Amino acid sequence: MIRIENLNKSFEGNTVLNNITTEFQKGKTNLIIGRSGSGKTVLLKSIVGLHEIDNGSIYYDDRNFTTMKPSVRKKLRQEMGMVFQGGALFDSLTVAENVRFPLDMFTEQTPAEKARRVEFCLDRVNISREAHRLSPSEISGGMKKRVAIARAISLNPKYLFCDEPNSGLDPETSLLIDDLIHEITVEFNITTIINTHDMNSVMEIGEKILFISEGEMCWEGTKTEILYAENKKLQEFVFANPQYKQIRDLRREADTD
Amino acid sequence: MKFFFSAGRYFALLARVFSRPERSRIYLQKLFLEIESLGINSVGIVAVISTFMGGIITLQVAYNMTNPFLPTYLIGLGNRDSLILEFSSTVMALIMAGKIGSNITSEIGSMRVTEQIDSLEIMGVNSASYLILPKIAAVVLMFPFLYILSVFFGLIGGLIVGPSLGAVSATDYINGIQYAFTPYYVTFSLIKSLFFGFLVASVPAYFGYFVEGGALEVGTASTRAVVNTNILILVFDLILTQLLF
Repeated sequence: MIRIENLNKSFEGNTVLNNITTEFQKGKTNLIIGRSGSGKTVLLKSIVGLHEIDNGSIYYDDRNFTTMKPSVRKKLRQEMGMVFQGGALFDSLTVAENVRFPLDMFTEQTPAEKARRVEFCLDRVNISREAHRLSPSEISGGMKKRVAIARAISLNPKYLFCDEPNSGLDPETSLLIDDLIHEITVEFNITTIINTHDMNSVMEIGEKILFISEGEMCWEGTKTEILYAENKKLQEFVFANPQYKQIRDLRREADTD
Repeated sequence: MKFFFSAGRYFALLARVFSRPERSRIYLQKLFLEIESLGINSVGIVAVISTFMGGIITLQVAYNMTNPFLPTYLIGLGNRDSLILEFSSTVMALIMAGKIGSNITSEIGSMRVTEQIDSLEIMGVNSASYLILPKIAAVVLMFPFLYILSVFFGLIGGLIVGPSLGAVSATDYINGIQYAFTPYYVTFSLIKSLFFGFLVASVPAYFGYFVEGGALEVGTASTRAVVNTNILILVFDLILTQLLF
């Protein structure tokens, strides 16, 4: 579980995040949603410590991340996996080497054990054996995301963070990535936080949803509650696609019947 | 004010670079890769430029020695001392700042803008040390070697061009390059090359590590890195010449 209390973040005097307080549950896919520029990525990067926050607290299973010594924080980072928007695979390494990298850096495993782990992780995200030797520039955007997920889970993380995992992908591949992240979250019982502005993802895997607008936390709830939320900013965001208004109306009709 | 901010950030980055590596074995593997990529792959350009420069210096000295009472072996001596004292250390460092420096800035800068550096940090890897330390070590180790190679090819260039264009006989040229040899000049330049090697790797790495934006900013950072490295090489050349002579 990850708990955030009164988190504030500003850049050169401009407030980007204002007094965010929330909790992300273990074994669930937690989503941070909002328009582009609403502060989602800053919030995610603040949670993982890539941005130092101005004030507030972040707890990883009751361990205060904000007041941790750098050495302890470094150790905790080995419990995290992160999937970046573009995949962020290392260009100089092959697909298999990318997944093996955290194992090389932080484990005492034998080469055979590492090879087995790499195979397991890549099989788990459905990457074929032929692709193991390819470099990141030789694979598609969807495969890059899947390899990034494989790398993120290679050290058996307790926390998984995904920054817009569907950006730049077609709807079918997006759905596959969403399902994969959800399955991994449940299978390994990890705390997953996903940044997205894709409503399809929200309706597919959003077990806990946090809506942010202009750096403020406006609403939190589940995918079943989101269509009936009264928050005006959230309604504008959700119903920007009229398909969801229809879904809501149909559900309401079904409920009254 | 901006200068002090940049200087402070540069030294703070160096402190991170020289902190204890996570896995010495992996750093060692990276060191060998960097020696090949930044050092061995520069041998060709060093050989070509030095050979031409040696030949040109020989011709320039010969054409400017108008006094018939000056012995022609001084042409070889002039070429040798020019190469040993300045060309093979300073001028070669300026050229290498363009080749190696821009390579380092663009590589690290691209990793920054594609979030690969963030990815390393998330894993708990000291990205500054992992990316920059092997490059600094490789360039500092290779620069003295490239310096000696440059002197050798420069002398060969003079030997090819001087006699073939009738500027000096081969015998006089060979006598000249052996005449009044001062070994300290080589020691002095080897010390300089260590400093220059450090600058050529660390300054561009700094510009690449802190780049913000996209591909355009990486290109701008590469240019700024090369310009700043060149200025620092000349400043340090002045300081070291004053201190070591």
